[in-house]
Amino acid sequence: MANNKDAAKSNGNGKAPRWGMAIDLKRCVGCQSCTLACKAENGTPPGIFWMRVLSKEEGTYPQARTVFLPIRCNHCDDPPCVPVCPTGASYKREQDNLVLIHQSKCIGCRACIVACPYQVRFVAEDSKGYYGKKLTPYEEEHYQRWQPRTVQKCTFCAHRIDQGLEPACVQTCPTRALVCGDLNDPESEISRLLRQRVNFPPRAELGTQPSLFYLT
Amino acid sequence: MTQSFAVELRGQEEWSWLVAIDLFLGGLGGGLFLLFKIFSLPPFVGLVALALVILGALVLFAELGQPARAWRAIARPLTSWISRGVIAVSLFIAAGALSVAPSLSIFSFLPWNQATTAGTLLGAVAAIAAFFVALYPGFVLSASPSIPFWNSPLLPVLFLFSSLLGAAGIALLLSPLGIPGGALEPIIALAALLIAANLGLVAVHLTTLSRSAEAARESVRRLNRGTLGWTFKLGVVLVGMLLPLSIIAWLPSSAILAGALILIGGLLFRYCILKAGVYVAFPLG
Repeated sequence: MANNKDAAKSNGNGKAPRWGMAIDLKRCVGCQSCTLACKAENGTPPGIFWMRVLSKEEGTYPQARTVFLPIRCNHCDDPPCVPVCPTGASYKREQDNLVLIHQSKCIGCRACIVACPYQVRFVAEDSKGYYGKKLTPYEEEHYQRWQPRTVQKCTFCAHRIDQGLEPACVQTCPTRALVCGDLNDPESEISRLLRQRVNFPPRAELGTQPSLFYLT
Repeated sequence: MTQSFAVELRGQEEWSWLVAIDLFLGGLGGGLFLLFKIFSLPPFVGLVALALVILGALVLFAELGQPARAWRAIARPLTSWISRGVIAVSLFIAAGALSVAPSLSIFSFLPWNQATTAGTLLGAVAAIAAFFVALYPGFVLSASPSIPFWNSPLLPVLFLFSSLLGAAGIALLLSPLGIPGGALEPIIALAALLIAANLGLVAVHLTTLSRSAEAARESVRRLNRGTLGWTFKLGVVLVGMLLPLSIIAWLPSSAILAGALILIGGLLFRYCILKAGVYVAFPLG
């Protein structure tokens, strides 16, 4: 996958890339690989899942089935979490339109959590790990990316994007249900998919312009 | 972590009692300072207003995850109502303190007072800031598109009127400490008017939203059922509005009691509004 500079050159319109994700609901089997890949990559604390898969039963026997809905930060083009932040901790990164949080600026007022219609922002009340207060070496390393009592959320694996890599959840998905790419590049795989397939951005009526689309 | 989705609408759990107390004290203090200026109440009323707003700010500190960084909250006044509110609170505390200080004997050396231009100017700045202190909490909530019950232009009006009602309530409560009868009578009348206005605004808000989207209807339902329903109906409507209105109408000599009940209702009103905040459902609902 191209990194930000390459994407800006290749999308042909000179615009900064706008990283987005298409989630194919017909391909998602609810295996939770993305949930675990996100945990492994970002070392999020117990009880906090930047990416998670919701499930729902539809129909009645013998036509019953379970449908899955992976949810995560939508990195909206008009994110309601950003203007409500009193400190500027929540911001849109200019170079690629990712919505991120300056951990050192966040005061933990939680206004962004309340403003987000997708319920994908979290606060870790302490720095406890999965095995109690004493962190594993892995947790010690990963817990440096966020601070307790501040807000955290999916970063679209910005650290991987900066290296030209896909987010961990996309790379892991065994059914290729998750596709990410530059929405500003009409030739990107995600742009082609959105042209070819019926899709909807979640809660588009709220005017948030999510960069996440569900393919149906 | 497979979770069921769209099975139930989720209420917000981020803001609860502490935020309710902060919004209550801030609104109360801002409103009381306005009454202090409008009705030329004794200086101690201005001091109480200042103390309430300072107390509210301290409660807000306690609520923050990182209170040591609270100073950063003034960084986004162009977009964030919390930023605007923090600036208004800071301005109010500064201008209000300077405006009221000369009335205290230990600060009598200050070269300004209510009669001087500087004193008048400080009082005016403090009064404008006090208005914003009473007004901004409603805007903080109504800026959330995720919670339709809050995302209404009526909510800031509701909060402002509730703050003014609370201010009238605390003025009644403080009346034995030296508010003259001449000033008290219009405040009693104002309290009655504000109760009627608050009742009307709450009714309009709930009626409008009960015919609105799913999450808003759920909020109205929560305000009518269960523990929150009882808190709202008994605490906010009966104790906070109908009883004080009855006392003012038939037992005006017990206006102090009416003031105390108004305050209880005002705090519970904020708690109920916060707890009734229900997020929009997930997209495949």
